[in-house]
Amino acid sequence: MSKVKCTHCQLEFDETVMIREKDDPNIYFCCNGCQGVYHLLKDDGLDSFYDKIGNATIAPPIASSKQDSSSFDMDSFRQRYIKTTKEGFSQVNLVIEGIHCAACIWLNEKILDDTDGVVEANINFTNNKAKIVWDEDTIKLSQIIDKIRSIGYNAYPYDRSEEDIKATAKKRDYFIRMAIAIFASMNIMMIDVAKYAGFFMGMKSETLHLVHIAEFIFSTPVLFYSGWIFFRGAYYGLKNHIVNMDLLVSSGATLTYIYSIYVLLGGVGHSYFDSVAMIITFVLVGKYLEVIGKKSAIDTMDKIKSQVPLEATIIEENGKKVVPLDEIAIGDIIEVKMGEKATVDGELIFDEATFDESSMTGESLPIEKFKGDKIYSGTINSGQVIRYRATKNYANSTLNNIVTLLEDALNSKPQIEERANEISKYFSITILSLALLSFLGWYLYNGDFENALIISISVIVIACPCALALATPIASLIGISWGADRGVLFKEAKFIETFAKATTVVLDKTGTVTDGKLSVKNIIGSIDNDNLSLLYSLVDSSTHPVSKAIKRYLEKNYINLRQIELENIIQIHAKGLEAIYHGKKLLGGNSQLLKDNGIDISINSQYTIYNFAIDNQLIISFELEDALKSDSKELIEYFQLVGVEPIMATGDHENVAKRIAQEVGIREYKSTMSPIDKANYIESLKKDGKIVVMVGDGVNDALALSKADVSIAMGSGADVALAMSDVVILNNSLLGVKDSFRISRRTYKFIKQNLSISLVYNMITIPIAIAGFVMPLIAALSMSLSSLLVVGNSIRIKEKY
Amino acid sequence: MNSILALELTVGIIVSFTLLGIFIWAAKSGQFDDSKKQMDGLLFDSPEDLQTAYDKEQKIKRMKEKKKPKES
Repeated sequence: MSKVKCTHCQLEFDETVMIREKDDPNIYFCCNGCQGVYHLLKDDGLDSFYDKIGNATIAPPIASSKQDSSSFDMDSFRQRYIKTTKEGFSQVNLVIEGIHCAACIWLNEKILDDTDGVVEANINFTNNKAKIVWDEDTIKLSQIIDKIRSIGYNAYPYDRSEEDIKATAKKRDYFIRMAIAIFASMNIMMIDVAKYAGFFMGMKSETLHLVHIAEFIFSTPVLFYSGWIFFRGAYYGLKNHIVNMDLLVSSGATLTYIYSIYVLLGGVGHSYFDSVAMIITFVLVGKYLEVIGKKSAIDTMDKIKSQVPLEATIIEENGKKVVPLDEIAIGDIIEVKMGEKATVDGELIFDEATFDESSMTGESLPIEKFKGDKIYSGTINSGQVIRYRATKNYANSTLNNIVTLLEDALNSKPQIEERANEISKYFSITILSLALLSFLGWYLYNGDFENALIISISVIVIACPCALALATPIASLIGISWGADRGVLFKEAKFIETFAKATTVVLDKTGTVTDGKLSVKNIIGSIDNDNLSLLYSLVDSSTHPVSKAIKRYLEKNYINLRQIELENIIQIHAKGLEAIYHGKKLLGGNSQLLKDNGIDISINSQYTIYNFAIDNQLIISFELEDALKSDSKELIEYFQLVGVEPIMATGDHENVAKRIAQEVGIREYKSTMSPIDKANYIESLKKDGKIVVMVGDGVNDALALSKADVSIAMGSGADVALAMSDVVILNNSLLGVKDSFRISRRTYKFIKQNLSISLVYNMITIPIAIAGFVMPLIAALSMSLSSLLVVGNSIRIKEKY
Repeated sequence: MNSILALELTVGIIVSFTLLGIFIWAAKSGQFDDSKKQMDGLLFDSPEDLQTAYDKEQKIKRMKEKKKPKES
């Protein structure tokens, strides 16, 4: 059986399951959704989408075209999300779901631009946020949403916060400042080549003067425009009686700049315009990365908030009423249709229901609920329409708790940064005082103002720049690029230190220690070829994870599988499937289904069981388990070797957690944990003085990931988990986790070495500078030498493995 | 010799600052806000795509003009 690509989504499937286009036998589709979108694009003349998409794959369109979009036209929606532009058009901010590549952006913008009444549609690829402006006289917002859904994407509104607007403006501002600094520094470096060549080969003083003028022109905007934020920072610091790094950077750079101008105007000595530009540029790049981090945190929050349902249907004496979330009161009866999310916490009043709680527990199997059971907000009804009674209002419900906690976590993350500032404060004070003391000392000693000034500046220049500034970033950079080679993506360099000091690692079970996919562990009974094809056809008709697992197992282990047309296939709620074949009754499902049909079954197992019976005769039973990832044992052994304590935390039941923990060799485990429990547990570990690394992949892990000192997510995990994590393992392999530990530990070792080198350098050179022995040329050389030492040492990081 | 060098430096500085000015204008008008789209924009610059971008601008202009008289 050969595999072919779906013409629309580009995913590969077996040829037999594909829908073939009538007019063109070379065109295949994996589902009706893809076929529908393909025709729509072709009819609208947008088929150049397929040239643009290249080799990228997209998700097949969800059945969202059937979703009701009328809520987008409601008054409550209008008040909250729609603004009017000064021209009188309406404007809404949306998060578009399903964007995978630049072609997706092109397609969405194009189809909206071609729609009558849409004035402007602008989608941001980096954060998938869209701004839509339209004319209400021509088109309704619900029609625009339907248009987006018709091509297989989905849209959610979000409130564009003040914070977001400010963060965007700040990011742009820093970007321009940084670009100017980099541009000018690069030019100065080129001019420097000529200048330093001149030192060794001889240069006329007029030529040197020209070179100084050029460097002056380039360094001036760097200091006063790009470096403005340091002056501002220093000013606010002093106003609050704090000596910060900004003060050292700005005073060091300004004094160097003034001294260099003095040299330029004919004074004795050597100009340092290059140092002015370099100091500002290095520190500014670091600051820009912080600003980007803050902005992406806000984008993540907006994505999470856009997933919160807007309103709920409550049942009143005189009928149904749709109300905003804040108006739901305790005791209200709420109706949830299939595929909708529960809005507040409550208790089921219907006899039974099935809920997808993967956003809470990470477990992919739908959970069966009975009358009186708890319904959690944010979980999805995967069965029939149900009603439940609200036991909490929205503000106190699980979903809102998680959103609020995540928001707090995002706002309070940079703990390490504060400590770094604390250290630099003392460093700054020490250097500034030393410079001042040497100025006073020399001036009082020989009364030569110029000499005293040159000495004090050389103290600042020699202390401030490269070696110390480079010690951490260059080692981190090499560590990070080494990680990227091995499929480990460190989002920010500053976590390497915390990572290397970690004492405890908390692992999620499903999808991290285990595959997150069911597989057949054991078979009880036997089956002949005819019955095998009946079983195959039965499991093929369901998308339930258990059926899928049985299907995968059969396809892998048997070759004579045939598709047989079954009749009257009925899905029995949370139990299994029933079908008829030539008058024979086929049953496939859990033990309860068989018992309900009067079949006596006595299998006692701690695994998930799937039984297959024909005419009330049990034929075969399968035991299924969530298999361990192949390298999980190796990872745990590594942790024990390096003295990091591994702990497993899962939303699953005690016996499953215990079995998995024993199999991989984890001594400590926590079971039946909700997302909030996991986060609290991590908090308590941190309170005990432990440095915690969290490894997870699901939406349910996001909160715990945000609480941990360092968090690692698997690349295939949920968007939110990826957004919350500091490190992403692209190949989903647990060995990636091991690599990330090894890389950060080794990098940290080198950071410490580099810091020692620069410290020793400072200890030797600062006294020499204070003593007045540093000639300009020697200062320049020793500065370069110390930087070279640090860079050269860092290159060794990558050699070992 | 030095006068040639001075001329070269002057021209170089003027040209590079002009280009920098254009870059700042582009950044201030929001063209670099979306780093991913900016990079991929290079893929979509066929004559057809440029025509589409032009048509889009014209459409916005037309719709804004159409809206104005109604308001006043």
